[in-house]
Amino acid sequence: MVKTIFEDIKNSIKGIEINEVSYAERGYHLAVEATKGNLLNIIGLLDKKRFYIADMCCVDYVEYLEIVYLFNNHSSLCRIKVSLKVDPERPVAPTISHIYTMAHWYEREIHEFFGVYFEGHDKLIYLFLHDGIDFYPLRKQRVSVPAEDLKLLNSFKPREEEDTFFVNLGPQHPSTHGVLRVVIKMDGEYVISADPVLGYLHRMHEKMAENRTYQQFLPNPARMDYPGALMFNLAHVAAVEKLCGIEVPERAQYIRTITCELNRVASHLLWIGAFLADLGGLTPFLYAFDDRENILDILEAVTGSRLTYCYFRFGGLYNDVDDNFVSETKKFVKRMRERLIMYDKLITKNVIFINRVKGIGTIKQDMVPKYGCSGPTIRSTGIPFDMRTHEPYAAYDKIDFEIPTGTVGDNMDRYTVRLSEMAICLDIIEKAIAKLPSGPINAEKVPKKLKPPKGDIYHAVESTRGETGVYIVSDESDKPYRMRWRVPSFSNLMTFPALAKGSLIADAIATMGSFDLVIPEIDR
Amino acid sequence: MGKGGFHLETKDPIIKFAVLDKILNLAKANSLWPMTFGLACCAIEMMSTAMARFDIDRFGAGIFRATPRQSDLMIVSGTVTKKMAPLLVTLYEQMPGPKWVIAMGNCAISGGPFAFEGQYNLVEGVDLLVPVDVYVPGCPPRPEGLLEGLMKLEEKITGSRRFPTPEQKW
Repeated sequence: MVKTIFEDIKNSIKGIEINEVSYAERGYHLAVEATKGNLLNIIGLLDKKRFYIADMCCVDYVEYLEIVYLFNNHSSLCRIKVSLKVDPERPVAPTISHIYTMAHWYEREIHEFFGVYFEGHDKLIYLFLHDGIDFYPLRKQRVSVPAEDLKLLNSFKPREEEDTFFVNLGPQHPSTHGVLRVVIKMDGEYVISADPVLGYLHRMHEKMAENRTYQQFLPNPARMDYPGALMFNLAHVAAVEKLCGIEVPERAQYIRTITCELNRVASHLLWIGAFLADLGGLTPFLYAFDDRENILDILEAVTGSRLTYCYFRFGGLYNDVDDNFVSETKKFVKRMRERLIMYDKLITKNVIFINRVKGIGTIKQDMVPKYGCSGPTIRSTGIPFDMRTHEPYAAYDKIDFEIPTGTVGDNMDRYTVRLSEMAICLDIIEKAIAKLPSGPINAEKVPKKLKPPKGDIYHAVESTRGETGVYIVSDESDKPYRMRWRVPSFSNLMTFPALAKGSLIADAIATMGSFDLVIPEIDR
Repeated sequence: MGKGGFHLETKDPIIKFAVLDKILNLAKANSLWPMTFGLACCAIEMMSTAMARFDIDRFGAGIFRATPRQSDLMIVSGTVTKKMAPLLVTLYEQMPGPKWVIAMGNCAISGGPFAFEGQYNLVEGVDLLVPVDVYVPGCPPRPEGLLEGLMKLEEKITGSRRFPTPEQKW
């Protein structure tokens, strides 16, 4: 795959700078240096080959700004980094939002944090930041926002139109799972357009990363995605390990796998409760929390916290697991299998539930690459795409498991995929515990002060909601030069305006609930 | 408190009904209705507190209302950003009095882990926006911590503690 794409790009676009790079060191296969002239040709070619947009970010190198586009393919692993250099004085780049819909939001994000203008973008208004900020936060030097741009802040202005009205869903609303605001234009009960407004919980994680050493940043990822904290913790740790070339002992890899899967079950349980509560049934919420507390008990004993875990360290773990952990986990797996049957009886065959979710919020397969959505959202459409098998990390390559998929891609499928995923998580835990080797849990000779070699790296893991990637640029100091988080909920939420259009507002709420949104993760 | 935070002065009412006040306060303390107002990570612990194991309903505070107009307790559970600040104040103002605020978690108390030099989007402590009655530290606080905060609030309202103070072991 990599070879053919390499040849294709080289042959079809004249004078292109394309290099094959070491995947083990960089986390991507091909690095393409685009110019303003040929960027659209390259992106168009990747679109034709059905590549999906994994991430898009900007790095400020002071002499120039570099816009990084990351692409990957669902069928076989082939990560491509396309970079475009722009002038920091007058940063202008062509938009790709007409090819990849998801770029619409990424470009808005880059515009507000770096001040890059995208030519041809139809709605370059602020997405995250608050009223009153007058500089670009992620630029290395202080650059003020031009006066005409300041007017774009908080630019939602409802206009009177016949027979339509606006509903502000959120930021304080029980079914937005946090502080998401969606401006919905409605005609009676029907949604005409939905426009999410983000940034009510923008906690500056990416800015913080530039002010912290790699070790000091360890507690942060858990606060980005609190229901699935260990997976985010792992994404950060594994990316830095890959960048520094630290080998992790096998026992630590297995323990990482087991604890991550326990965390995934806990997160899915929370989702089932919240989703059903959105639909009007509060009972499953109480059942789910009962099971969830059992997992928290197991994890608390080894990690030391209930929710925002900071358990993994560079090269290993904070704490070894004991026999008690193993026996408790086995007991839990047995209990949870019985409970899953109960959930199936309680929810899946309930007529009211089926009528509320079946055939609603359908994601079609050809939408997927344009939006770059991942996790259960993409698996529900029938694409068996999972980072755990697609790009194995920890001990997932040593354990056999199947990927549950849906068929239609509606809310019902997203529910069934998650339910069967829980059963598979339990299988993985059981198999990993049976194979758990003995030995050290920490790599030898990990320096106290990590100073990774110069360069960039992209590493992705499968968190509860999908592909969670970290893009780190290192400049040989003990702090990251730039750390970019590719978060799954951001691209999953992008599909919401398209799915909600034309549906009843109650159905739109069901669709939003089915994505399992975590707002701090979207806002970062 | 410093930094120009709120200082709420409670003035004694002109007419006092000693016994009636006591009964009313007892009633208020034992039926606090919190608002469903989850901001960040702490909201999950707040939900855990409301669920079966910790069961906030034992103290009469289990009726989470989705609208500020029906609630008298605001649990600020998470980070308050500059974009969220005006909305938080609006929500507080919509609550009918008497009303109380619990700042749950380090972010709501002082900005917590996100207060660093050069930050551009954080309100460092919710007490800069609304008066706070009880602070519950932790990142996030355990559900037991929130329950203890609730009992502190009850103590503030009635003047006496519901349960004897746990024995200090250190």
